[in-house]
Parts: sequence; C-alpha cells; structure tokens
Amino acid sequence: MNKKTLMFFRMVAASFIRRRSRMLIALFAVIIGATILSGLVMIYYDVPRQMSTQFRSYGANLILTPSEEESISSEELEKSISLIPENELEGYTPYRYENSKIHNMPVTFAGIDFESVTKTSPYWHISGEMPQNDGEALVGAKVAEKLGLKTGESVSAENSFEITPDTDISLIPEYEIFEDPETGEKHCDHSLDISITGILETGGSEEEYIYVTYKDVEYLSLTKRGYDIVEVSAAAMQDTLKSYTKRISDDVEGVSARLVKRVTASESTVLDKLQSLVFIVTAVVLVLTMICVATTMTAVITERRKEIGLRKSLGAYNSDIIVEFMCEGLFLGGAGGILGSVLGYVFAQLVSMNVFSTSITFRPLLIPITIAASVLVTGLACLIPIRSAVDVDPALVLKGE
Amino acid sequence: MFFRMVRGTFVRQWKKLLMIALTVALGASIATAMLNVMLDVGDKINEELKTYGSNITVIPQSEAVMNKLYDVENGETQDEFLNEDKLGELLTIFWANNITDFAPETDAQVLLDGNEVKVVGSWFAHHFEYEKKGTTYTRDTGLINLRSWWDIKDGQWMDESASDSDRYAMVGCQLADKNNISAGDSITLKGSRGEEVLTVSGIYESGDDEDEYIYTTLSAAQRLTGTQGLLKKIEVSAITSPEDELAVKAARDPSLLSGDEYDLWYCTAYVSSICFQIQEAIPEASATAVRQIADSEGKILEKTELLMTLITVLSLIGAALGISNLVTSGVMERSIELTLLKAVGAKNGQVTFLVLTEVMATAVVGTAVGYLMGYVFAQIIGETVFNSAIEMNGMAAFIVAVLILFVTLLGSIPAIRLLLRLKPSEVLHGGH
Repeated sequence: MNKKTLMFFRMVAASFIRRRSRMLIALFAVIIGATILSGLVMIYYDVPRQMSTQFRSYGANLILTPSEEESISSEELEKSISLIPENELEGYTPYRYENSKIHNMPVTFAGIDFESVTKTSPYWHISGEMPQNDGEALVGAKVAEKLGLKTGESVSAENSFEITPDTDISLIPEYEIFEDPETGEKHCDHSLDISITGILETGGSEEEYIYVTYKDVEYLSLTKRGYDIVEVSAAAMQDTLKSYTKRISDDVEGVSARLVKRVTASESTVLDKLQSLVFIVTAVVLVLTMICVATTMTAVITERRKEIGLRKSLGAYNSDIIVEFMCEGLFLGGAGGILGSVLGYVFAQLVSMNVFSTSITFRPLLIPITIAASVLVTGLACLIPIRSAVDVDPALVLKGE
Repeated sequence: MFFRMVRGTFVRQWKKLLMIALTVALGASIATAMLNVMLDVGDKINEELKTYGSNITVIPQSEAVMNKLYDVENGETQDEFLNEDKLGELLTIFWANNITDFAPETDAQVLLDGNEVKVVGSWFAHHFEYEKKGTTYTRDTGLINLRSWWDIKDGQWMDESASDSDRYAMVGCQLADKNNISAGDSITLKGSRGEEVLTVSGIYESGDDEDEYIYTTLSAAQRLTGTQGLLKKIEVSAITSPEDELAVKAARDPSLLSGDEYDLWYCTAYVSSICFQIQEAIPEASATAVRQIADSEGKILEKTELLMTLITVLSLIGAALGISNLVTSGVMERSIELTLLKAVGAKNGQVTFLVLTEVMATAVVGTAVGYLMGYVFAQIIGETVFNSAIEMNGMAAFIVAVLILFVTLLGSIPAIRLLLRLKPSEVLHGGH
C-alpha cells in the first residue's frame, strides 16, 4: 500500500472518528430510509398472500358437482383435491343431501364433516355446540323455527320407502322390512333419533337444512353413495382458481368444477384495490424518505465547505476531494443499507405478526436491493453539494464569506 | 434587537433554514397523507367490499309464525309478503346514509316450455323516490350493483329506463344452455295467475344457484303470481362497522343493554343496529345479517385498518426521526455563532429562546407547505386506488401539527444544550 492510499484511508477514518456526531446523524438518516424501503416493500409483496387467507372467511370459492353420474365418489373427490396445491388448500367439505320427515314435515338432511366445515364456512354462527358424534345434529335456524326445535331436544326423523337393489338393508334390523301383499314390493319404515346440539344462523339458505354426520344420512336413506356437492376453499386468485377448475373438469371424469363467482370475482376486485393501495403508499413514502435522506446528506456535506477549501489550498485536486467524499458517502450508504434492511425485516415481521398472526416471507433479494438503493441515494445526494463545494475559491471560503 | 437578530438569520442564513423547512415539509406531507389515508381507508375498503353483495336481508316477519299457527297441509306454506309501499321507510332510518344499495324481490315458480323454473322479479338499475313528511328520498340502485359479479355471457344488462322494460328478462347461463335460449329470444312464462311473453335481454353467469333462474322486473313477476304491490324479500347492502363486544351483546337482545350502551350501539353502524332500525321502520319485517358477508367484511376491514395503521406509524416515526435529525444538525452547525453570542454576554436562556424561535418559525412554514403537499399526495392515492377523493380529517391536521412541534423541539433542545455546554474560548479558537 503506497503512502497516498494510506493517507486516504486515514483521512476517511479520521473524518468518521472526529466528526462522530455529524456522521451519526447522516448514518441515522440513511438507516431510516433503508428501513422504510425494505420494510414496506416486504409488506407490499406479502400482502396479497396474507390477505388472501383473510378472504377465506367468505367461505368456499370453488365447488365440485357430479357431471354425469349422480354423485361424486371418494376416489373422484381425492383425485380432484390432489390437483389443488396443498399449501393453497384451506379446506374442503363434501355434502350429501337426503330428504326425510320430522313431525310429518319434509326436511332436508345434509351429511357433512363437522370439522372441515369450520374451514369452508367460517361464518357459521352456532348457538349451542357443534356436533361431535353420530346421532347429533346441527339445525338450521329456519328449520328450527318452522318445526319448533330447540337446542338440547331430541327428535326422530322418519323415513319410509320402497326397497330397491340399491338399498343397503344390512344397516337395519329385518323386522323393519315388510312386504306389500298386493304388489310384492318390499318397504321399510325406520327412524333416526338425533339430539340437537346447536342452531345454525347464517342469514342465508344454509339455515334450511339439518346437518348430521355422513353415517347418519347413510342410515337415513339406507343407501351407500358418494357426495352431491363438494365445497372447496383455496387461497388463490381468480385466474389460478380458473385453471384448477379446468384441470379438475378435464382430468377427473364425473366431476365438474365451478367457481363461486360471487366470492372469487369480488375477492379479486378488493385484493387488487388493497394491493395498489399498499403499492402507492409505499411509493409515496419511499420517494419522500429518499428526499429526506438526500437533504440530510446535502446539509452534512455543505457544512464542510471550509474543510474542502483548506484541502484545496494545500494542493488537493478536485478529483481527490470528490473521491474521498464519495467514499465516505458510499460507506454511509452501505452501512445504513445493511442496518436498515435488518430493521426493515424486523418491522415487517412485527406488522405481519400483529395484523395477520403469521410470519412474513423473508425475501433475501431485498437485502442487496436495499443496500444498492441506499448507496445510490446517498451517492447522488453527496455528489451535488460536493461538486458545488469544490468549485469554490479556497480563499473566499477560508475567509468565511 | 431580538427581532432584528431573528430577521437577520432569516435573511442571511435562508439557505440553511430552507433546508430545515424542506425536511419539515417533507415529513409533514408524509404524515398528512398517511394519516388521512389511514383514517379514510375503512370507508373506502368498505365500499369496495360492497361488491360481495347485500349484507342484510329483510323478510316478512310473520312467515315463520304463520306457519306454526295455521297448520298447513303437506308443509306447503302460505306465502307472506311485505308491502311495496313500505320500501321507502328503509331510507328514513338513522343510518339511511349507510345503505348504499337495496333491491326488493319477489319470486315465483313458473312453467317454461312445460318445465318448472324459478323467476325472480327485482330492480336492475332503478331510480327510486319516496316522499315522507315533505322530504323526498331518492336512490339509484338495483341488481347491477348488488350482483356486480355477474358475468354477462350474451346480450346485455336490462335497461330499466326503457318504457317497455317490463317486457324483458335475464336468464341464468345453465338454464339458457338447457333450453337453448340466447339473447333476443322470446320466452313464455306461465305463472299461477298469468302468462308473460318476455324478451331475453341477456344471459348471465353467477356461479351459484342463480344460474338456473330467470330475473325480470318486479312488476312482471308480480303479475305472474297476482301479487301486485307485494314483496317477498328486500336485499340491503349497508356500510357497517366491524362487530365488537358491544355488538355481540346487543345481538343477543338489545333490551339487555344499559341506557348508555344502548345509545352507543344504536348510533354505531353495526349490522345489528341497522337491522334493528329497519325492523323499527318496517314493523312487519324481520331483518337479518347475512353472516357470510357481514362477518367477513368486519374481519377484512379490521385487518386492512390495522395494516394501514402500522404502515402509518412507521412512516410517522421515519418522518419524525428525519426531521429531528436535520434540526439537530442544523442547530449544531451554528456552534460558532451561538458561542459568540455567549461570549458577548448573552445568557443561556436568551440564546435558547433565539434559536428556538428561529427553528419554530421555520417549522411552521414547513408544516404549512407540507400539509398542502400531503393533501395532494392523499388525493393522488385516493384517485389512483379508489377513484374517489380522500376526505381530509381535522384530526389529522391536529396530529401533524403536534407531531411536528414535538419532534422539532426534540431535535433542537439536545443540540442547544450541547452547544451551551461548550466553552466559548475553545470554540472561537477553532478547536472542537
């Protein structure tokens, strides 16, 4: 290392040590800028993913219906669900509907999985408890009002029907089956006793059904068959969902998939707005912060006109001064950028934990971008005042004019 | 003398002060823009969420009671109706301004080519007027807003302003596929009390049961069933506040609330209080929240507001630190001048007062400029994102003013204290 380089480093180091307070002020400004840059950009990129999960409270956004046959079998269901990426799948609930009678009034029973329905219909309001076992039922508010049913009561659903080859008679005792002496047709009467654990309120058509387990509807109808409809809730945007529906409809025979337009179309409208809101807010705040950083740097450099004048009078070249000052500036930019990207990540994580209760996706690429942006902004901010400073006449500056 | 000195600083050192003013203005503009956007974002997102359709349905209250009282055969129920004349009462409730859209509905099972289909009569793009006690309430509303997700596959939305609009209908895509109906076709609907020949103005895709329905005007559907002037349902879309503990308590039974709680609940746009007010205005109606919409709206609003609040807090901290930073450096720069003042006999208090006056005067100018800039930024955000102006909040102006005052003081006082501790002889000699 020759003497000149050594001197250069000593000067840079000295300016940091002796002018500690000013340098700290400048560094501080850069850190604030870099923190806001990395924090906001990280949030901007994560908002659609996080919000998309929130939008799942609207419930299912994709439904599967049987296309040709009467119902969707378990194999078809499994195959269809496997076409949706696991990390996007929030949940799915197959429904199987059967008609029956309570107090001689026709009611429709729906067989569901009570655990998965909380994922696909999170908006269900239940007064009472969600059923856990076979023999327990959740009654829609409209049915409950119509039939005068209350939580804690037990009722029995009666079914009487003709026995066909599809009927699974192994489910019932033989004495329930009787033969019509005239026609020779076999009939059966049987009932399912259910205890009501809760009343369902949604304000929608869901209130018109009684919900029981699959096993109970199977017993009620005495037939083993698949599902009538499957509700799927997937955290994906409309276009992605559309590709899933196409893939499912094409690849799985017997299943046709449709989008729930009301949910998907509205979701993409609102999400677009939200994302552009965060985008433009980020842009405005960033531009203003960058100008702030630049003005601080300008102030710090302008202050040193005397020093520049003194150097020039001792024989320093303009280029030497520019290089030295730029090096200081770039060092500040780099250091501020590194600290800022760490602080920005901490901030973004804080926001994500507080708002969405999930951690933010770490984007490694943001670190070099933040550092590069800070170096660039500080560099530019130093360049302008240095250029005007080196142009001055040393005599005038040192004299104090 | 004091004023001459202050004026002298402004005249001679205007460049330095301009720099401070500029930073204050930038900081103030960030704060103004972010605070105003944050305070208004709830309303804006709420309006966007209206694309999900109605969040309140109003049905005849006696429906359920009637069925219990009069045992009807085969479970076939006697239909109950709301009176169409009472519709305007919706617009007289306390939170009427929060009702963005509403549409009356009546439905009927009719025969189309021998097959039973469901026909729904409603408003499409309706101009509604209601006069009560000399006040005229008007609203332009209808399905065009309440079914914003409908995808028109063929033809167009029904034009309700046309004089013969009564002769048109819109058909769901699945039903249209099944019966080979396309826009422009004529369909004959046979209802229990009449027959209507309607021209199909458009085919829509909704992605749910409605794909099997036919939508027509209210009066056409009423003629089919002979229920002129009667409604089965009103869909209401209202801007609501997210539910909290009070709302949950009130939802159980409003009469359990204490007087103050009741007033607060009644005067807050909870979905439950709006439902309650609708029932007050139309006593024979029962208004219920559509949970799927109401709950989700609350959740998304809450998250958005929280997100914006945290981003705003970060920007405010950034702006505050930026300002106090520059003020500190601006004051420290003047070490020679201030120590000189001390050397010629100024007391610490006098010097402090002089510097503070200068800095504060600069900050006031900067804040005023910054507020105007912030206003522009807020409007840019509002126009680009929501296509509507952001309402400027008086509270935001107050917060910005207090914030700037505070950070300017915070930035200058430590610097002044530091300078006052310096010995004049050392500083003036040139050593730091």
